[in-house]
This record gives sequence, C-alpha cells and structure tokens, in this order.
Amino acid sequence: MHIKTEDKNDVKICYINGEVDINTAPQIKKIFDKVIAEKKPKIVVNFKDVSYIDSSGLATLVEMLKNIRTYGGKLKLANLSSKIKSLFEITKLDKLFDISADEN
Amino acid sequence: MQLTTDIKSVRTASAEIIKYIRKEKKAISKDTLFDIKLCVEEAIRNAVVHGNENKADLPIEISFSIKGDKIKITICDSGKGFVFGDLPDPTDGKNLYKESGRGIYIMHRLMDKLEYNEKGNCVTMEKRLI
Repeated sequence: MHIKTEDKNDVKICYINGEVDINTAPQIKKIFDKVIAEKKPKIVVNFKDVSYIDSSGLATLVEMLKNIRTYGGKLKLANLSSKIKSLFEITKLDKLFDISADEN
Repeated sequence: MQLTTDIKSVRTASAEIIKYIRKEKKAISKDTLFDIKLCVEEAIRNAVVHGNENKADLPIEISFSIKGDKIKITICDSGKGFVFGDLPDPTDGKNLYKESGRGIYIMHRLMDKLEYNEKGNCVTMEKRLI
C-alpha cells in the first residue's frame, strides 16, 4: 500500500494504491492524521488504485470524516470501483460520505 | 487448518482459501472471490481480536470444502463466544458514525448463508461459486 498526496489550490488529494484493510489501516491513519492537521477546507481520497477494503478500512475513513468535520472541512471519496462502492451502500456509509465518480 | 492468534493469520487464511477455490473452480467471478476473501478475513480478525482476545497461545481452527457449486467455511476460536442477536445494527442512524461493528453485518450480507453455533465461537459461512 502506498499513498501519494497532492495539493490543488485549497484541495488536498490523497491517492491510495493497494489494499485498505486491517494490515494497512494503521499506516493510512498515520498519513491521514498528518493531512488533517493541515486543515485544508477540502480533502479528496482517490480510490482509483484501491483493489480491496475491509471493515477496518471503512472504520479508518469514518474516523477521518469525523476529524475533518471538527474543523469544518469536507471529505470526498472519488473513483471507487463498483465493488467497493457496493460495500459503502450495504453498510449505508454512502449516506455519510460524499462519493463521486471523479475528483472534481 | 490451524492458525495462531496473530493478525497476520488474517491474510494467511484468506490466501489459502482463495488458492483452494482457484484450483477447484477455474471459472469464478472476481466479485465472488472479493466477497469470500473479505468475509474470511473479517471472521479471522474477529477470532483473533474478540474471540481469542489476542492471546497468542489460543488456536483458531478453519475447515473449508467445496461441494457442487458451493463453498462452506467454518472458523472456530477458543473464546467464550457471544450472542449473535445482541449485536447492534451498524446501519441504524445512531450507529453509522461508529468506527466498529460492521464486520459481521458485512459477512451476513455478502454470504449466502451465515450461522453461529450456540456458544458463538464458531461461524459457518456458505457461498455459491459463480
């Protein structure tokens, strides 16, 4: 698993490559915490190269969303595969997250 | 197959089961493999963390077999078990922001059949291999 971050004006984009699961969640959380500390008004997590997510990965994203909202920031999840998107739907997390087909 | 109570066992178990399925069934969808990998990993994680409470000396037993077009997987930990019906619904509005409690719900939704024994320390899941 690898995360690349990029700044586009006021937006921070996080590109995750690999699996988001119990093994990688601690590393992802560490990077997300650093990103959140910058208090950018908008953060986008790009899932284009994410092949797998488990409940630990979903938990990490819920925690990230809560932390971003504490300073009034917004989080968007972009480019989810249909399989990963379906997990957000069955857990009803699609109601919490702004899920979009692209970064814009 | 016996596993140690270690979070590394999560990947060991799912890799072993996926390897077995691929050997037995040549034509199987990526989505079905995704679901099986996810449900096995959720179950092993629960066995390590909640069942055996990370006690390294306690074993986790896994058995799996394919009959016809179905795979049946049983995972047992050495813990005291739990009552399946007592689990809160993670999709309930008041639980949506909770960071835990989705694993069994996901297993229940993705598998064709999911059952716990009376004690609550063994889970058996079935899925059609399509």
